[in-house]
Amino acid sequence: MMRLADRLAPALLMLMTLVVFVLLYGPLMVPIVSSFFTVSRGAVDWSQPTLSAYVALMANESVLNALWTTLIVGAGAVICSVALGTGIALYYTSPHAKGRAFLQFIIFLPFLMPPIITGLALLIFFRQVEFERSLVTIIIGHTVFVLALVYRTILTRLQSLSESLVEASYDLGASRWQTFRLVLLPNLSSAMVGAAVLAFALSFDETMITLLVTGTQSTLPVRLWAMMRLGFTPDINALVALVLLFTTILCLVAVRFLMPKSAIEGSDED
Amino acid sequence: MSGRVADAATNPGAHVGPSRLAPWLAMLAAYAVPVFFVLAPLTLFLGYSFFSVDQGDIVFTPTIANYVRFFTDPIFLPIFWRTCLLCLAVAVLCVLFAFPVAYFLTTLRGRRRYTLLVLLLVPLLMSYVIKIYAVRSILGGNGMLNKALLATGLIDQPSMLFVFNLNAVLLTLTVLLIPFAVLPIFLSLERIPKALRHASADLGASGAQTFWRVTVPLSMPGTLSAMSFVFVLAIGDFLTPQMVGGQSGFTFGRIIYSQFGTAFNWPFGAALSVILAAVVIVAIRLGGHAERRHGGAR
Repeated sequence: MMRLADRLAPALLMLMTLVVFVLLYGPLMVPIVSSFFTVSRGAVDWSQPTLSAYVALMANESVLNALWTTLIVGAGAVICSVALGTGIALYYTSPHAKGRAFLQFIIFLPFLMPPIITGLALLIFFRQVEFERSLVTIIIGHTVFVLALVYRTILTRLQSLSESLVEASYDLGASRWQTFRLVLLPNLSSAMVGAAVLAFALSFDETMITLLVTGTQSTLPVRLWAMMRLGFTPDINALVALVLLFTTILCLVAVRFLMPKSAIEGSDED
Repeated sequence: MSGRVADAATNPGAHVGPSRLAPWLAMLAAYAVPVFFVLAPLTLFLGYSFFSVDQGDIVFTPTIANYVRFFTDPIFLPIFWRTCLLCLAVAVLCVLFAFPVAYFLTTLRGRRRYTLLVLLLVPLLMSYVIKIYAVRSILGGNGMLNKALLATGLIDQPSMLFVFNLNAVLLTLTVLLIPFAVLPIFLSLERIPKALRHASADLGASGAQTFWRVTVPLSMPGTLSAMSFVFVLAIGDFLTPQMVGGQSGFTFGRIIYSQFGTAFNWPFGAALSVILAAVVIVAIRLGGHAERRHGGAR
């Protein structure tokens, strides 16, 4: 009877969810676990665990350089995109704003279009205006890529603020700058921090645009990409494990700042 | 009340509005980067698709030769259709996996729902390259999947069905993109008023009937936008086919990429990208993103 199906359904749902989680997380376990063992002739030697891959990594100059590049690019992209995103969000909500929909459309383009299109367009553009490819071009690429998300996050928060807050501030004689610094900024700060973390995480992983607009330097994902084409080795696995650990932390921090209240509400907050 | 703000802001005499120039400066500041680094490059890119290449030099004379070549050359159109079909298959597979998860999420409450949602979000931010690498280590000739199949005795020698070919691309993209499909479906399921399901049950429908005739139709906007989301992400990807596609797994994205590398024909690559962009726009339209965005903008 139908009753049986009704009773079976929840179990089936849980099973499917479990399968998806195995698909999402299972593959990642392979490099993480094998990073603690040595690989000889393409097969993992499970007999004794070792940290040698991690030690070797610390001495790998090209990886350390790539890490450094990634951090600089990430910081640059975060600063540019948060400043721009906040500015544009403020402009969007101001009564003087012209062509709001158009402006927003341009900002969303790099996010909606495949990264390969954004990357190639920038590549051609930089060549045309004879702008040499360097760290700066990577930062520009990352900034336009993450801008949509940063802008949207900040705008959403800005629009959720009560208008009377700003009106009260003006009524009390505050200047525009004072209103921004003393009223808006404190209310926006958590959205800005969340957006910054999110932007950093996206920049940290960005590969497709970077691959196209980079000069001689490579960021960590681009370096990893080059290493991975050679095969499955302990040093890649160790690097993979570290990067995964780092992005997971970043993601959890971002979620903490950005999760809509409604999602956490009802959960016993600590 | 809001009149007062507008007053204060537009009145040049008030201490709030420094000068008549301010609005123009603000506009310049807001538009500069988007126009200079997004609109200009994309416009130039579109322009490039009408140029040509002669012995390594770009000829800046307008021509539609690149587009003619795409539609007449026997190589490109089949790969283009094959890639579209592949990405459609990825989209369908992702939705099949994501729907039960999204539905399961709606049955949870409080901290459990929150935790599961976060666990689904985390892989979104994990390095794309690493995920491809991880899946490849499972699909390989002596990867986990083959070892497991051998161990269970289902096959007696490593299967090459999913090693460096389009099947591998299909499986890898599906695993990579499932989380992107879960979120839109979850959001649309959550929006269905409970009253509708209760009404259906009150009218004597079984759980299955309610699911198929109330829940599924009402979740269609989310499901379609999930499909278009996944399709767009899959069709723009050139890393996955490059990494797990091998010699036979040639996709449209890979061909575009090669025009800027080995083939060195930027204008032709630009023309192929314009076609890719057109497909993406159609997919987004079909998915109803624009409409949803307006709904969400408020």
